Amino acid sequence: MALLECEGLTRLFGGLRAVGSLSFEVGAGEIVGLIGPNGAGKTTVFNLITGFLRPSSGSIRLDGREIAGLKPHEVTRRGVARTFQIVKPFPGLSVRENVTLAAFLRHRSRGDAESEADGVLDRVGLAHRADARAGELTLMDQKRLEMAKALATAPRVLLLDEPMGGLNPSEVDVASAIVLKVRQAGVTVVLVEHVMKAIMRISDRVVVMHHGEKIAEGPPASAVRDPAVIAAYFGHRAA
Amino acid sequence: MSRTAAIGWAAGVAALAVLPFAVRNVFLLHVVILVFMWTVLGAAWNVLGGFAGQVSFGHAALFGIGAYTTIILFLKAGVAPWWGILAGGVAAAVGSVPVGLICFRLRGPYFSLATLAVAELAKLVALNWEWLTNGPVGFLITTLPPLSLFGHPVDWEAKAPFYALAALLMLVALGSTAWLSRSRLGAFLVAIREDEDAAEAVGIDTVRAKVLTLALSGFLAGLGGGFYAFYFRYVDPDAVLNIGLSMEMVFIAMVGGLGTVAGPFIGAVFLTTIGEAVREHFQVGHLIFYGLFMMIVIRFLPEGIWGRARLAWARGRTGARRHGAA
Repeated sequence: MALLECEGLTRLFGGLRAVGSLSFEVGAGEIVGLIGPNGAGKTTVFNLITGFLRPSSGSIRLDGREIAGLKPHEVTRRGVARTFQIVKPFPGLSVRENVTLAAFLRHRSRGDAESEADGVLDRVGLAHRADARAGELTLMDQKRLEMAKALATAPRVLLLDEPMGGLNPSEVDVASAIVLKVRQAGVTVVLVEHVMKAIMRISDRVVVMHHGEKIAEGPPASAVRDPAVIAAYFGHRAA
Repeated sequence: MSRTAAIGWAAGVAALAVLPFAVRNVFLLHVVILVFMWTVLGAAWNVLGGFAGQVSFGHAALFGIGAYTTIILFLKAGVAPWWGILAGGVAAAVGSVPVGLICFRLRGPYFSLATLAVAELAKLVALNWEWLTNGPVGFLITTLPPLSLFGHPVDWEAKAPFYALAALLMLVALGSTAWLSRSRLGAFLVAIREDEDAAEAVGIDTVRAKVLTLALSGFLAGLGGGFYAFYFRYVDPDAVLNIGLSMEMVFIAMVGGLGTVAGPFIGAVFLTTIGEAVREHFQVGHLIFYGLFMMIVIRFLPEGIWGRARLAWARGRTGARRHGAA
């Protein structure tokens, strides 16, 4: 059975169908890329899964249990963590305090939460900035922090919303390596990403969306050759 | 608790014990009692506004619930006011829960406006529910019940018993703020203040945290209101459900330093003494000076007096450490 399943997921904004009857599955230990042109509804899917939006209809199951309609903090508690496309650190707090707050979800005492936070910061390569104010970090380090906060909640599924957006090519390599390391530690990953080089290299499978619907699914190399995908990105003449 | 904080608390309690013997002037003692009462109220606002960043303009309602509970329990049911103060705190805490569940659906300025509306509603209820509140006439306590402490009858015409009670309430308020600042809940509130969506994303039940904090805030504001009724012996809608009270609590917390433990005390010391002093000298227009002081603080000390002092202290220490290393 798949770890995360979306079935007939639909979300309407007034007359606009941002996501329409979307179904896909993510197996335990997979890295799945969610791709598609701007406005395809990828971030909306993340907001639906993590409870920031309620689905108009459809179901979302984690390990067979329904999670659609739960509040964001309840979804995180069940084991689905996320990062935001536009990073959301607690800017006035130090990096360590940021991650400690997330670690409080699984640890009652401040000491335990802090040592958990230090461990996670080490994993994402941010340990040397632990005492810096989160608002003062470079973009790359803010993306690391965003991931560290999500990991500190000890998720089973990690949803990454454009973890590489705005990074330079060598930073993209570093970020890709971190994502692979996260999967190695047993966390299932779904990522929305526009940096194709990274998607092609690290994802096992991609789900391609266009106008809120799934138009293709499969290994990244074959999905990008799918005529429907080429048409979505470059127009019908290119396909 | 850090050593500096422990020394601070010990010195503070010692000063509280000595002060009434050092100050013989009745008016001065009255001002000190007011400072303590406003510290409680500033601390009440601070736990919600300073720590959680939820700006309420409606705390007069919680203050009023405390004041009315204390005076009504005494005049209609014969409950001694010192127990009534506690009941006032509990009533305000309980009353704040439904208010929180409704108002916390809104964020930022919309939340603030909703609390303003709640306070106005509370005042209208007090004005019109005459069976319970006596309407605009209000209540007056003519004689306080006799009480003996350690074999001595308490003299309710003196300032000393009220001084002791106000000091005790202030310790409760500052103590619970200190507890909050170290607790997990306190850490969650800071996260909510910084970014509410990010707080939810790391698994913090933001509504629960805010409602709990509002209940604590309501309890403290209710204690303050109960004390007001006991000390001034007079309660009517204009006196205890006035928008000015809500504003005063905001100002005290801001001038002292938002989200700090000692801030409300510092704010109350400055604002109460300045308020009383200019009222002495200028019968008309004394609020102008009060406003001027507020403007100066907001312009030059946005982190508050105590907030700025703490920053300077922290900077001095890191500076010294760097110097020591070099």
